[in-house]
Parts: sequence; structure tokens; C-alpha cells
Amino acid sequence: MIDFSMYGKKKPEVCAHKCPGCGKLYYPAPMVCDDCHERRDPAGVEHKRWEKVSLSGPCTLLAWTRLFALPEGFDKKYLLFGIVEFENGLRASGNLLVDQPETNMKLTAKVDVIKEDLGEEVFGFQFVAPE
Amino acid sequence: MGRKVAAVGIGHTVFGNLSEFDLVDVMGYASLNALDDAGIRGKRDLVEQVFVANMGGGIINHQTGIASSLVSRIGIEPAMAELVENGPASGASALKVGYMAIASGLVDVVMVTGGELMRTITGWKGTDFVATLLHPEAEYKYGLSLPAYGGMFTRMYMERYGLTERELGLVAVKDHQNGEKNPYAHVRVPCTIDAIHDNENAHVINNYVAEPLRLYGMCPVSDGAASIILCAEDSPKMKEFTTHEPIYISGISSATDTHCVHNRKDPLILDAVRLGAEKAYKMAGLTAADISFAELHDAFVILELAISEEVGFFERGTSKDALTRGETAIDGKMPINTSGGLKSKGHPVGATGVSQVFELVKQLRGQAEKGRQVKNPKHGMAVNFGGFGNNVVTTICSRGGV
Amino acid sequence: MIDNELEKKLRPPQLDLKPYPPKIITLANGEEMIVREVRRDEVGILLGTVQPLMGVQKDFYDIVAARMYAEILGWFTYRVANEFILVGVIDGEIVGIVNSRLVDEKEGMSFHTIAVKRGLRIGAQLFAAKMEHHIEFLGNEEVHIVAESPIGFKRWMIEYELEDRTDQYPQLRHELGGIPTYTLTRPLYDAVKSAKVTGTRPVPPEKLASADNLKMPKEYPQIPGFKRGES
Repeated sequence: MIDFSMYGKKKPEVCAHKCPGCGKLYYPAPMVCDDCHERRDPAGVEHKRWEKVSLSGPCTLLAWTRLFALPEGFDKKYLLFGIVEFENGLRASGNLLVDQPETNMKLTAKVDVIKEDLGEEVFGFQFVAPE
Repeated sequence: MGRKVAAVGIGHTVFGNLSEFDLVDVMGYASLNALDDAGIRGKRDLVEQVFVANMGGGIINHQTGIASSLVSRIGIEPAMAELVENGPASGASALKVGYMAIASGLVDVVMVTGGELMRTITGWKGTDFVATLLHPEAEYKYGLSLPAYGGMFTRMYMERYGLTERELGLVAVKDHQNGEKNPYAHVRVPCTIDAIHDNENAHVINNYVAEPLRLYGMCPVSDGAASIILCAEDSPKMKEFTTHEPIYISGISSATDTHCVHNRKDPLILDAVRLGAEKAYKMAGLTAADISFAELHDAFVILELAISEEVGFFERGTSKDALTRGETAIDGKMPINTSGGLKSKGHPVGATGVSQVFELVKQLRGQAEKGRQVKNPKHGMAVNFGGFGNNVVTTICSRGGV
Repeated sequence: MIDNELEKKLRPPQLDLKPYPPKIITLANGEEMIVREVRRDEVGILLGTVQPLMGVQKDFYDIVAARMYAEILGWFTYRVANEFILVGVIDGEIVGIVNSRLVDEKEGMSFHTIAVKRGLRIGAQLFAAKMEHHIEFLGNEEVHIVAESPIGFKRWMIEYELEDRTDQYPQLRHELGGIPTYTLTRPLYDAVKSAKVTGTRPVPPEKLASADNLKMPKEYPQIPGFKRGES
């Protein structure tokens, strides 16, 4: 079965990966479950593919920085970054779009274009103030 | 624990901007300094195996097969030669592999040379290059870099333990005091706490780089190389090395941690540092209290403090008090970063781990420059921190008979 | 002998500039750098400071030094309508020089920045002082900037968020070679001022007096083994 959605506009999402053995969620995806040792097969041939679970929504800011030492390709004065914890306990790093952040503040993780790479939009986490 | 392994020759280049030179020439220069120090320049065929530590030759310098190139450049073919890459901990990893090669009985004499030329590209490209060790999807693509994790780690630490920006500044002041006296150091200009913190101009002179880390909270980007020659104590070849008192690798180990920083249960706990150090202590039959001085990987000044707690020199959250009491200064109870550390000496990533052990050997031989020689040291420890703490190598060196 | 009539015709009408009030900055190593404007009678010391760097074929010192040398002479011999030169001075010794001029009262034209002493970000402080003079004391609305060093230029572009005015060529051409021209506007300056511009005023008289008799540098980190008189 050809996945025709590949030819359309990419869905802006970042996914956690669910172990089919025990249901534990991971972000980013490992090759084996820490708890039940179930393997992940990205091709889904010899072992199962793991279910992808869209990851976004309410989260808490654990750590943040305003970074002036940006790598090549990010020609800006600075960018803000943070590490957040979601309600399901998963954590992620990403861009922080709050100008005066405070540790432990409540945020919303949305997924949007974070940069363009060879004309392709690259999606990733943006942590914003909840509406 | 296998055979006893001695460091019998050490070599170093200046750290700084060496972008006009060739990578293998720079490594070769440090290697020949080590051969000269060991007194075997004319008997280079004693070296059976070379391990080269380098992180970015393939990316920055567009050069591969560096270990093969080096043996040929310094005329020690047919010595065996391999490259060891472990990010910014490549240097200590190469030493560990060198130790393993001797301990296994495969060879008796090993040369370990670490080197990096990072100034041939711009700072932005250099930051990008080091950031390639982060997780490509979950970290790197966002523009996150090592300084970003340094900044976030620093903020978490400050919020938990009440560390101040002034105390962070004091780490730099101490490191620069030592580095000023080290002829190999990249930044040999001292800094004062008034100028980088207290003064009304300080916020501009010492600007933020990754809040709350400022310019004087980060190491410079450096070029350079360091080299160490190791020999099995029980080898008949040991009698060829008569120029210096042998210094022994009494403990060497490493440990890893999660690739993504966010996946650590408590991101302030550096498992790879603690577990690596515990194994090294056990191997050496020592405890933290036995260590006379240490070289700790202060790519960001916070790491000097956090590592010093993780290896057991101080209780968590109290290293700042030891710092302000002067205990980590050159004449204190536990001198830290006597070479100037990465902060002042510089951080050519592949060279750093070898350079740290170079410093241990120099101090243990009693050969450090005036004003930065630790008094009668017996055991020195080096912690070489790869990734953001996801692969950390700990080395303990000791004088013989202690 | 100079033909005074002809010479008069050659000289552009002079635009007098308001003076730059001196300031003092404590550098990271604790040394105090005084930033002040230079006088015409100090040109010989400036030229003597710059000249050895014309032979340094690294980090663009040769071209920046050669061009600055000519620009200083141009000012001294009245070949430009106006120009100002600021120096950084530590213990009476010159550690860095910046120069610049005005197109008119609204527009500034930034020339060069040279740091003799290294590792203390003297170039960055002097460049900021130059922008401070343009916007705050000379009242310019914008300053046009290019640079010899691509790395230095990119740093300024990013850190000051300079506006790219390259598309306004040929109406707007930088005097150092046309395009690309980037511009620091007053709002951009105001946005970075607190992070970039520092220094204390007024300079205590005894400290200002220490910078009264400028001395050429004794040493150049760029020129190992340099001895004055032998270059």
C-alpha cells in the first residue's frame, strides 16, 4: 500500500513513540524498550513498528536559556530555548517563544515551522504562553 | 588489573589560533615534543601503537585517515595506528584505549596524541560542528548548541543551590590566574571579579552568551595538540625511558548517560561523571580524599563546580563555598584546574583530554611553572566530559611508590 | 612651496563636528581604558601606531592599517570635509583606534576599527564608542558600515541587527567600496545600547591626564619580537 500522504503537505507534528509491548511512551524513539525490552523496527519487517503518538499541549518549563552563541544558519541576535515536561511525564527540548520566561511556568507546546532547510519546512516544538 | 602503565613522555603545543598550520603538523609537533621529553626521538621505533584523538577532522578540516597520516609525518611506520573519536572526550578515550592496549599485553609502548584545528572555520560553523553531537531530531535541528545546555544547566543549578553569577565569575578569575602562568594557555590575560562582575561596566565587558552564562563563563574555541607516551612498567623497554620519573595511570574509566539531556531523571545529576569516577577510584584503590589536585572539564565554569561535587570532592551545592574559601586555588586544599582549565588554557576538543593528563603528569613530576605548582602532589584526577555529560572519562595519575 | 590659492580650492568645505566626551571603561583584566577623541597634533603618534601593522598579513591587519593610515593623513591634510578619530588608551599607551566621518548631519560613514592589544575585546568597545558618537553626540540618524574582515562584519550584522541597504546601490554607496552597505539606525542603536555601549563619564581629571600624552604601543601581539625603530 503506497502512503499517498507522503506527497501532500507534511503534517506539522512531533511524535512520541509507544512501545507495543508495554505501552511506555518515549521521545525521541529508542530501538528497544527499557522496561519490557521490546524491539522497534523502523521498517516494520522483522519486528513491529511502534505507534506514533502526537506530542503537544500543556507543559511546564523546567529549564531555559537565552542563547547568543547560535550555530551557522541561525543568523539572529539570540534565540530562547527551553526544556519542558508534558503532563504524561515526557520531556522535550525546543524553541521558547516567551520573552520573559520563568522556571516552572505553564506553557503550551505547539508544533510549527522552526526553520527551512533546502526549501523544505522543518517542523519542531515551539513553547508558547497558554492562551 | 592487568599491567601497570606509566606515562614516560609528554608533549604539548600552545593552544590558541593555529589556523595557519596543518592539522597533522600540529599533532606531529606535540608528538615530537613527547618523544623528545621521553628521550627517544632517535629511537622512535620503540612506539608500537599510536592512538589519535580527534573529533572534527573529517568535518572541519575535510581530512580522514588522520592516524595513518600522523605516523607517516613523524616517521614511525610501521607502528599500528587508529583514530579514537568520542566528541570532546576523545582525548581521554584515546588514553583509555592506549591503557587497554598495554594492559591486554598486545603492546608495550603506545603514543596517544590528541589534536584539533577549530579556528580554520568561523565561530558559527564551529558551534554548529560541536552541536552535531546532539540528537539530530530532538535537539540539533532547533539550533540548540552545547552552550545552550550549559546555560540551562547553570540556571537549574543556581535555582536549586543558590549559586550566584558572582561565584561563577570567581571560577573564571581562579582559572585565569593559573592559565596566566601556563605557557601553553590560550588566554593568558588575567581577569578580575571587579571587571567581570562588580563594576558598572561589567555587563557589557562580560556579556551574556547563554543566559545565565556570560562570556567569562565559557571556554574559548582553540586549536592545539597534546601527546603522551605510555609504557608497560614490566616491559624491558621501560629502561629506555630514563629522562623523567615515571608517573602511573592508577585509575582510568568512563561511563555514559542518556543522549538527550531532557531524558535524565534529574538533569543536575551527572551519572556519567560519578560512575566513571567511582570505577577509577576503585581501580586505583583510592578515594576522593586521596586526590591532591584535579583537572575538571570546565568548558562552562558551572561544570567545574558540578563535576567537583559529582566526583566526591565536595557535597552537592557546596563547591561554591570551597571556591570562595580559596580551597580550589593553587595553594588551597584541593587545587582545581591548575593548568587554567578549558576556560583559560583553551579547548581544542580532540586535544583536551590528553592535555589534562599532560598537566597531571607535569604537576606530579613537579615541573609546573612557578606560581602554579601544587605542593608535593601524590595523586591527580582528570575528568574529560563528552557530549553534555553523555560520555565522560575519568583518569587518575599517581607518583610511583605512593 | 604650497600654493595657498590652489590649496584652498582643493580643500572641501570643512564641517565642524561636536566633540566626543571622554569615558573610561574597566576591561576584564582590571585595566582602565580611556576612550577619547584625538587632536590634530597627535596625528604623528597615530600614524606611528598604525604603520607597523601594515606589514601584518593576517586577520586583515595589513589592509585595515594601510587604509586607516591614509584616512588619518587625509584628515590631517584637509582632504576630507570631516573625520573623527577615537583612541583607546591604557596607561597613556594607544591600544586601539577607530575612525569615521559624516556625510551630512543625518548620515554617518563608518571607516575602520583597529585593536592593537588583543584578548580584551577592545575592538568591540571602540566600535561601540564610534556608534555612540555618531548617534548620541553628533546626532546622526544612521551610520553606514562595511568591513574588511568578513567575520567581524558578520558579527556586527548579527549583534547590532544592522539593516541591509545593499539594494539601495548606487544611490547609497559606502565610501570604502560601494556595496554591500549595512546601516545602523537610531532605533537599532537604542535597542542594543544597554548591551553594547558602556563607560563612565566624566573621567576623573587625574585619570584623563594620564591619557593626555599619547604614546605609541611598545609591543604588538601581532608582531612577535617587535622593537620600535626597527620596523
